[in-house]
Order: sequence, then C-alpha cells, then structure tokens
Amino acid sequence: MKVIDFYSLAPILGLSVTIIVVMIQASIKRNHKLAWWISFLGVTATLWSTHLATSYPQQVTPLFLINPSGLWFSSLITVGALVTLILSTDDENTGFKVTEEYYLLLLLSTLGAVVLILASHMASLLLGMELLGISLYAMIAFPEKDPNPLEGAIKYLVLSAAASAMLLFGFALIYAATGDLSYTGIGAKLSSAGIKNPLLVVAGTSMLLASIGFKLSLAPFHMWTPDVYQGAPTPVTNFLATVSKGAMLVALSRFTIDGQLHQYPTFMLCLSVLAIISMLVGNWLALRQQQIKRLLAYSSIAHFGYLLVALVALRQLQESDEIFYSSLEAINFYLTAYIITSLAAFTVIANIGGENDPDMRSFAGLFWRKPVQASTLTVAMLSFAGIPLTAGFLGKFYLITLALNTNLWLLLITLVFGSAIAIYYYLRVIYTMLITSSSDNNYEVPLISSPMWRDALAIILMISVILLGTWPQPFIDFMRHL
Amino acid sequence: MLELTLFYIASTVALFATVLAMTRTNAIHALIYLIVSLLAIAVIFFLIGAPFAAALEIVIYAGAIMVLFVFVIMMLNLGEKGDARERQLLQPHVWLGPAILSLVLLVELLYLISTVEGPASSGSVSPKSVGLALFGPYVIAVELASMLLLSGLVGSYHLGRRYLDRGL
Repeated sequence: MKVIDFYSLAPILGLSVTIIVVMIQASIKRNHKLAWWISFLGVTATLWSTHLATSYPQQVTPLFLINPSGLWFSSLITVGALVTLILSTDDENTGFKVTEEYYLLLLLSTLGAVVLILASHMASLLLGMELLGISLYAMIAFPEKDPNPLEGAIKYLVLSAAASAMLLFGFALIYAATGDLSYTGIGAKLSSAGIKNPLLVVAGTSMLLASIGFKLSLAPFHMWTPDVYQGAPTPVTNFLATVSKGAMLVALSRFTIDGQLHQYPTFMLCLSVLAIISMLVGNWLALRQQQIKRLLAYSSIAHFGYLLVALVALRQLQESDEIFYSSLEAINFYLTAYIITSLAAFTVIANIGGENDPDMRSFAGLFWRKPVQASTLTVAMLSFAGIPLTAGFLGKFYLITLALNTNLWLLLITLVFGSAIAIYYYLRVIYTMLITSSSDNNYEVPLISSPMWRDALAIILMISVILLGTWPQPFIDFMRHL
Repeated sequence: MLELTLFYIASTVALFATVLAMTRTNAIHALIYLIVSLLAIAVIFFLIGAPFAAALEIVIYAGAIMVLFVFVIMMLNLGEKGDARERQLLQPHVWLGPAILSLVLLVELLYLISTVEGPASSGSVSPKSVGLALFGPYVIAVELASMLLLSGLVGSYHLGRRYLDRGL
C-alpha cells in the first residue's frame, strides 16, 4: 500500500483510530463523559476526513472503491452517527445507563456502515455487514433492566444470522459460477457464467437479494422490523433506521451497477416484485399502528420500496446513458432526504418520550407544550408524506419522473397509491399533536427536562429538511459532480 | 471418478451429521455431531486441494471452538445431577453414531494419505500462498476482521456482565 492509499481510506482509518482510543481510555480509567467527547471528536474528524478523501478517488486494494458518491454517503452516515451520539448523551434520554461500551459499539457499527458503502468486493461487503450487525445486536439489547430490548435483539440476531448465512451461500454459488469475488469481476463474467450454469447464478443472486432484502426489511422479509424498532432504545432505532439501512441500500445499488445485474430481466423482475410488495405492505400495515416507532418501522418498509424503483429503472441502461445518471441522482436525493427526515423524526421522539413512548397519545397536545419539537416532527412527517416544500417531496418527484421516463407504469401506480395511503397515517400523527383537550390525560407522559441543545438539534434538522425542499439547487449541483 | 466418490462420501457424512446435530434435543449430543460435521468438511477441503484450510478447520473449529462449547456446557452441569448425566453420556447409544461417522472419515483420510499422488485435484493451496493473500491484497480485510472480533467481544462482555453483577 502506498501513502496515497491511506489518504483515500481516511474515513475508515479515522473511525478505527477513534475506536482504539476509546478502548484504551476505557481500560485505563472509566469515564463516560470523556469517552463521549473522544467519540464525538473522532466522528467529527471522520466527517472532515470524508471531505479530505474526495481528492483521492481510487481503487484501494481489491476491497474498496473510493469514489465521490461513496464518500458523500459515508459523510451522511457519519452525520447519522453523530446525531445518534448526541441523542445518547445522558441516561434520562435513553432510559438506560450509557457506558463506554455503548460508544465503542456505536463507533464499530459506523465503521461497518462505512466499509459497507465503500466496498467493491464480496469480502469487504460481508465484513462491513457483519461489523454493522454484530455491534447492533449488542446496542439493541443494551438497556439492562428491560426485557423488550432483549426480545428485539434476539429476534434481530436470529433472523440476521440466517440472512448472513444465506448471503455467504449466495457468494459461494456466485463464486463457483464466475470464479471472481469483486463486483466488477462478477459483472464481467456473470453473463457467460449464466449461460453455462444458469441454475448456480440464479440461485446465488436470489439468495444474495433475499439477504440484502432482509437487512433493508423489504416486504417478504420485514417481520423483524416493528419489534426491533419498538424494542430498541430510541437512539439505537434512529441509528438502525438511518445508518444501517442507508448503508445497505448504497451497497445494493453499487453491487447492482458494478456487477451489471441490471441487464438481467429476472433480477429486475425480482426487484420490482419486492418493491411493489414493500410499498403496499408497508403502507397498509402502518395504517393501524398506535405506537409511533412501529409506525415509522412500517413506513420505512414502504420508503425502501420506493427507493427500489430507482434501481429497477436501471434496466433501461442499455438504451440510454441518461437513465444511469438520473437513476443515481434519484437514489442520492431520496436517500439523503429520507435519512435527514428520519434523523429529525427520531430526534423528536427521543426528546419527547425518552424510553417510554409507548403510545401515540403521549404526543397529544404537543404543539402547546413543546412547540419546537412538535413543529420539527410535523415537518418530518410532511416530508415523509411527500408534501411540497419539504425534502421528501423532491425525492418523490425524482422517483416519479424517473418511473415515467422509463415506463415503469405498474411501479408508478403502486408508488402513487402507496403515497396516498401514507398521507393518512402521517397526518394522523400531526393531528394528534394538535389535539388540545384530550379526555384521557393519564396518558400524558412526564416530559423530560429539555436543555437548550435538544431544541437546537431539532431546529437544525428541521431547517435542513426544509432547505433541501425549498432551495435544492446547490445540493442538486453538488450531486451532479459526484 | 475416485475423487468424486470420496467427495460424495464425505459430503453425505457432513449432511447427515449436520441434520442430526440440528434435531438432537441434548446440547452435548448436538455438539458432538456438529464436530463430526466439521471434520467431514475438513476432509472435503483436503480432497479439493486445500490442506491448510482443512487443518485450520480442525484446529480452530473442531479443536478450539467446539471443545470450548462442550466444556462450558459440561461445566454448567455440576453437582449430583450433572454426574448422573455425565455417566449417561458414556452409554454406547450416545457415542456410537458420531463414532461410526468419524470412522468413515478416518478410513477415507487414511486412504487419501496413503495414495502417493496425494490430493487428486491439481495444485494445492499452500500456507504460504494463503499468508501472501491475507497480508497482501486482503490486509485491510484482516484488520476489519479484528474489529469484528472486537465488537463481538465488547458486545458479549456487556451482555454477559448483567449476570456477573447479579452474582450468578
């Protein structure tokens, strides 16, 4: 490895160094405030280093392809980790005693996500996914007293281990067919291998898709989502919803593009089916939810269904190169909008309920009690629903334009239909917050004290959602350069 | 043709042992079958020209990890009841199954070693080439694997500590 490789790998190295420093600090003298500050500085430095690495885009060893769009997503993921870190400062907010291990696991998980995003090889894909997953199991089960997190963690552990085993089996079959493990190598050899050994290739790719679909909680593989979302401490749910899922989607899109999977109609058909089922099931099941974390869990299923539409659009890549860029742009914009909106929503949930937000009724009359938090949640919900002037609207606009240009009528109809259903349950959250005199006041949870920074964080996220929706031109220009 | 037969014998043993491992209700029985399954996979590795991977499979999985499991489970069964259970483990119906399966593998391995040509497939992967690959192009993967172990360690430490604190 050359020195320049180290510059390219700066985000990965930054996180690794932070992990080692936190570990040494914890082993010398336990002090969770100090560990928090080290993690905070380390993650901030990583954010800066993603910017540094943009000057050195290259392939580093067979394992990583450092490119601008990967680095942009890495920085987005790092912001997600930063917000999670800020949300988990004190015990009151998270409902459990935060120790140094928590920060260590958070950093390790973020490292896994960054590896997953920058991976260009099956080995690094698997390592990133496992690093992300294994740290997450422990983070979900972190609160010691409660049985709910443990239940969520065990569900996630068992199903996720099965998914990983399936992924490995898929890799083995693809390797048996092509003799290559790097994305581009697979892309080059898959078509000839597909003629020689069609069964191997089909079985391998479908196992791979099922496993990734599990991690993204796409519809037939979504069973774990609501329980894990509900059981996990709110900051961890936030992390799962933004960092884990976002990184996985980027990995899927990179694999699809570099592995040239878009030229196989069967693969695209599988993706379309997953997308349609996810959009319908996610929105349908979200309708009747009474708990906001469960509601967001189901809505995330639907959102990742929408995102798959942009991937399916790649099937027309042979006909025009335009599609490639517009599809990539749609993924970039929608995912960015989704991650920032989710961060805003979960920040408010963590600020309002702490650990005990069992019910939507605890949000009743929030507008009159905590206007800043309530308006942030309102903006987040409007953005999720895709109402104009928010980031979510432009994201959906991108997807609809793309689906129109590529004649994906069925997907388009499902997308519009799903969004129409979704408006109902998003508006229900806003409506609940507006109710002034609720007859059953006993559901009013004691509000936790709100320091200045809680409101500040909510305001920053709210402004980013609105800015991305009202003045997106700078961001669109930036994306075109990726 | 011969190597194909040997491969099928070893894979049958592996499949059979794994299915038995999954269906046993007693954890010790299951683990013993799992060890047999790992041994069978090691024989397959040896057969397809990866003797180093075969050795690692035995040393690490069957040798270290599985034996650790068996130890821990046996340690948990201390006391009168545990002694009775341990005596039960020495009954022939418990060890006969795994023993027969292992015997098949042993015969196969002895036969393989005694044939002068060694592994039938062309070109075996030497420890040196494994090391060169691991510390050449895949060096970052090795580092990441160590991070993976770290996260497993930290996670299990935290989750296990709640029982230590209660003084179990």
